[in-house]
Amino acid sequence: MIVLVPLLQTVNYSFYKWDGVSEPTWVGLRNYLEFGRDPRMYAAFGHVLVLILMFGLIPLGLGLISAALLSRAKIRGEGIYRWFLFLPQVLTSVVVAIIWKRIYAPDGPLNSLLRGVGLGHLTRNWLGDFTWALPSLGMIGVWGGFGFTMVLFLAGILAIPDELYEAARLDGSTRWQEFWLITLPSLRGQMAIALTLTITGALRTFDMVYITTQGGPGTATTTPALLLYQLAFVNPDVGRASATGVVLAVLCLGIAVGITRIMENKDR
Amino acid sequence: MISRFERVSNYVIVIALTVGVLFPVAWFVLTSLSPNTSGALDFSNIAWSNFTAAWHDGNLAHSMYASLVITVSAVAGQTVLAILSGYAFGILGVVGERFLFPVILLGMMVSTEVIVIPLYYEFQRIGLTNSWLGLVIIQLGMGVPFGTYWMRATFRALPRSVMDSAAVDGAGVWSTLWRILVPMARPAVLTLVLLSFMWTWNDFFLSLIFLGDPDKQTATVALGAFQGRHVLQVNLMAAGSLIVSLPVVALYLFFQREFISGVMAGAVKE
Repeated sequence: MIVLVPLLQTVNYSFYKWDGVSEPTWVGLRNYLEFGRDPRMYAAFGHVLVLILMFGLIPLGLGLISAALLSRAKIRGEGIYRWFLFLPQVLTSVVVAIIWKRIYAPDGPLNSLLRGVGLGHLTRNWLGDFTWALPSLGMIGVWGGFGFTMVLFLAGILAIPDELYEAARLDGSTRWQEFWLITLPSLRGQMAIALTLTITGALRTFDMVYITTQGGPGTATTTPALLLYQLAFVNPDVGRASATGVVLAVLCLGIAVGITRIMENKDR
Repeated sequence: MISRFERVSNYVIVIALTVGVLFPVAWFVLTSLSPNTSGALDFSNIAWSNFTAAWHDGNLAHSMYASLVITVSAVAGQTVLAILSGYAFGILGVVGERFLFPVILLGMMVSTEVIVIPLYYEFQRIGLTNSWLGLVIIQLGMGVPFGTYWMRATFRALPRSVMDSAAVDGAGVWSTLWRILVPMARPAVLTLVLLSFMWTWNDFFLSLIFLGDPDKQTATVALGAFQGRHVLQVNLMAAGSLIVSLPVVALYLFFQREFISGVMAGAVKE
């Protein structure tokens, strides 16, 4: 009830113009139509594409490579490594944001490091830079998501029967072929999970941006969730905010269903 | 089978990755012990006093208490409700299950952002904003669908014969659940408790929206405000952050396996 009723209400709200206080007026689909003309929306959803790349695809690739390299190895103290690699997943998002805000600060460790190795000309205020703010945020996602994908893929690889690899080796296949022909196809399920989670995560990015940049400089790092928050609670235009929410939900659901479909089709 | 070179390179990879992930956190921990407000590290004077200073300046005592009350009530309520409805859906069967269970699944998949707007304005109307009770209700609403799904799957995986022999022994529906099924499902219940503790404690979005009053704020929101005020006292900021993340990290230290398997299994829910 807590979920279903408000869900329908959001859809309902999205057809009105309402500042949260006075009487709402019916505007039909105008909130959705204005979407196409609002540069802030374009910016926010455009940023999400960059974040999807950095939250989703890069950790996916890195996780695959490292898991494949490590899969056949027995590593002493595996539990300890896993504890550390998975740590970003359990850390409070606010704390993660604060850590990285500090790292990117003009007098923070990243710039000190660059100066230390003689690359002083590369130093900048990373989160205050129009070009670099968004990729810098994306790097936080790479850092946080990578351990997750790697642990997920390692677990997946362990479930692949050893006989498959032995048979391949008897047939004289190289490690590269093993990876493409055995490891990768067997991890399809895990890849679907990782992609769905990281992509919807990217779409819904809020805490990180709210703490570090508030969407700035200018609108260089706004995300749909941040716009929704501002439209719903800061300068109420509740109808527009609801429309954003509906679009966001449809996208999340669509992506989840889409990825599952694609992965299932390949199974046949 | 594995060559010496391969073994060495494996260690190199693992260690490099771990250091990469760990470096920011470790650096932050060291910062929290530094006496310099600029955050410059200084190992000769370790300033434990940063933690007490952050505790007082950040109003952390109050907000940690708020987080604790909200998290514990939400987790307790959620676990009990999830066990009951998981039992109902998984074992007993519910009238209209074919309609109701998809509704539960939908509740699991809908993202918070979509429902938060009407919830806020409705709660404002009935006076549940700026109230811990209000936030607990929402956390329950967001958490119970997953819990139901999780406990249903767990109960279904238990051998049917157990329930049959319980019935033969004359155990009622209620005592079968609490005396037999729940003890058998203890690992799954523990994972559920840990996951929902982590999710509720780490929440920022909902607390930010529903608890605007500084006297009611949770630790995450208070920390967010604290770091805005103390841009120039990096060491205090770091100390405050460590305090706020401590409860979940401590649980993670003891229950690593449950956390990782839980997040993995939770991921499959999508």
